[in-house]
Amino acid sequence: MSDATTSMRDALYEAPGPKTRRRIRFWTFVSLLLVAWGVWAIIRRFYVTGQLSPKYWLFFTRWTTWRFLLQGLMGTIEVAVTSGIIALVLGLLLMLGRISSNRVLSAVCHVVINFFRGVPSLLLIYFFFLVIPQYGIKMSSFWMIALPVALAASGVLAEVFRAGMNAVPRGQTEAALSLGMSPMHVKLKIVFPQALRMVIPSLVSQLVVVVKDTTVAYVVSFPDMLQNARVLITNYDALVSTYFVIAIIYILINYGINQLSVYLARRSGTRIVARTSENPM
Amino acid sequence: MATTMQDEGKQTPVIELRDVDKHYGDLHVLKNINLEVDKGEVLVIIGPSGSGKSTLCRTINRLETIDSGQILIEGKPLPQEGKELAAMRAELGMVFQQFNLFAHMSILDNVTIGPIDVLGVPKEKAQAEAMELLKRVGVAEQASKVPAQLSGGQQQRVAIARSLAMHPKAMLFDEPTSALDPEMINEVLDVMVELARQGMTMIVVTHEMSFARRVADRVVFMADGQIVEEGAPDEFFDHPKSERAKEFLESISGH
Amino acid sequence: MGFAELWKTYGGDYLVALLTTWQLTAISFVFVMILSVLVTVMRVCPIKPLRVVGDVYVQIFRNIPGVSLLIICVYALPFLKVLLDYRTCVIVTTILLGSAFGSENFMSGINTIGVGQIEAARSLGLTFTQILRKIVIPQALRSAVLPMTNLLIAVMLTTALGSQVPLSPPELTGLVSVINTQVSGGITTFFISALGYALSALAIGYVGNAIDKRVRILR
Repeated sequence: MSDATTSMRDALYEAPGPKTRRRIRFWTFVSLLLVAWGVWAIIRRFYVTGQLSPKYWLFFTRWTTWRFLLQGLMGTIEVAVTSGIIALVLGLLLMLGRISSNRVLSAVCHVVINFFRGVPSLLLIYFFFLVIPQYGIKMSSFWMIALPVALAASGVLAEVFRAGMNAVPRGQTEAALSLGMSPMHVKLKIVFPQALRMVIPSLVSQLVVVVKDTTVAYVVSFPDMLQNARVLITNYDALVSTYFVIAIIYILINYGINQLSVYLARRSGTRIVARTSENPM
Repeated sequence: MATTMQDEGKQTPVIELRDVDKHYGDLHVLKNINLEVDKGEVLVIIGPSGSGKSTLCRTINRLETIDSGQILIEGKPLPQEGKELAAMRAELGMVFQQFNLFAHMSILDNVTIGPIDVLGVPKEKAQAEAMELLKRVGVAEQASKVPAQLSGGQQQRVAIARSLAMHPKAMLFDEPTSALDPEMINEVLDVMVELARQGMTMIVVTHEMSFARRVADRVVFMADGQIVEEGAPDEFFDHPKSERAKEFLESISGH
Repeated sequence: MGFAELWKTYGGDYLVALLTTWQLTAISFVFVMILSVLVTVMRVCPIKPLRVVGDVYVQIFRNIPGVSLLIICVYALPFLKVLLDYRTCVIVTTILLGSAFGSENFMSGINTIGVGQIEAARSLGLTFTQILRKIVIPQALRSAVLPMTNLLIAVMLTTALGSQVPLSPPELTGLVSVINTQVSGGITTFFISALGYALSALAIGYVGNAIDKRVRILR
């Protein structure tokens, strides 16, 4: 939560008077009861369906379980990092093409960017998993997941980069041009380094999208964390507990990445460009 | 109490603060403030930044709460919440440093929302009166624009018109010219001078000393959350009694 | 398989799939909006426990991978005696994910208003409900148009999760996998679906931009 969020949501209400304070206290109490009841109902539902039985949970106290999950997590990280790097490079190239003065190149890049942004990553994965092999191209399961995830992210990253380029004050470009630098030189040497610094928090936050997309790895049978969880499930016959634990791990990882990007943004005083905050087309 | 004052043959002050104290955590921002503003009086509050003068101004319509003491509007204690508080606020105008016009509404709607939604004035009547007010502050031609299309000085004049549309018993000005470019300060001050001349009861927090000297009936000098000195403007500016006031006046006349 | 042959055999299926995607998107988005508003109200209300629940809700569904959530709906919930059919699972998953982002959009819409306008409204004597109705909600809605347009596109892309369960009829992504398990459809099978998504996104973006241009608040 950013500081602004906290202050504005408090600003909606003024400092309560005595009557309002009493009312808030009453409803706080009522809502606490409701929340407690809700939590209790969920736990009870687990209990009555037998899902709280120790056999479903005790194997999480074993090191072997965690080692196996960690192996899967390493797979997830490998894919995520590889995809991330490819997407970074590709996004950068697409952005440079998009802002180039060559009309044709710019238009092509525009179309490619919006294509990757407008198509679900699952569809791209099916393209690599089902379509590519039909043309006799053999790919390992690692690349069948890493490439589509990278392509899906590259479109968004290109737009993030472009937003960063646009955020660099125009006067600097004019100053550099008036020094006799070529337009491309100005973009690369003056504007881009500053833009990069500005978009780092946004790039980090896009990593969340990449990590989420890697979870489809089971489609191509790549051993990521989710895929290894499925193996655990067959071994221990503990589906519910395993899927919930895995979900929580993913949530924590992505929450961590998000917090990191918020921290970076605050430190550098920049804004995070999210998929939802820009112009769609 | 109000009755005793009437016994003395004195009018009830429009705004009265008694022993007002306020803390922000460890910071004691208002220390034992006692203040009375009579009908038609123009009170100017000056002082270094962080002296608590803005906070003082904002406590009067409870944009800031106080820890202890009393605030009375025409002898009645300031309500703490609900409809009573809203009704009391409707009787006090407030002009902010940052104008705070409603960004999604036209200038005209900014001025009519109070009369229509709070006072229940019929729309046509409210609009006619709003146009009068906009003419008076010199921005009638801009009535159909939105705030972002106006200059800071114009926006602040609209903000004054918005407050006037409520026919307030008193107006509070919280550094109304501090966010303005130098060339726009006078157009706003002129409107305020005119208001003062027409007998509006005003509390003005400002750094504009010439305005204070020209218009104020009384000047209050604040420092470190306290009222250090108060008096008639000429006397205060020419013969300040306290060291703090002397220092302050020297520091601002330095440039 | 050439385009003509593919279209002759599967053209109708593609149209049905496109409509299915649109339908899933539309149903999900309606509930996304309703839930976003509810969650946002919880997050800005002065009652602490509700605020915490709203914040936790957003953090959970912003950060959980869609597949992980879908799997829980499809495979785990039946063990807890909560039985949803496949279609409902996809829609519920999409709604939960989308509403977290929707609430974030509304929150940032509220944030752009600024404390000053609220104080000015208060000073005029407007009551809390009047301030919400006349100042906060109109501005939050108007500045949320563009983000919500993007969210609608994101919701459409999320319905591709439907390819992970046997939907009948399948939606656009699922159809690609269905066709390619039957025949070697080649690259065209992929591009028809991709075009369905991309053109839909383009249309949504176009409409969203047009609306935004009309209601955008100058600042």
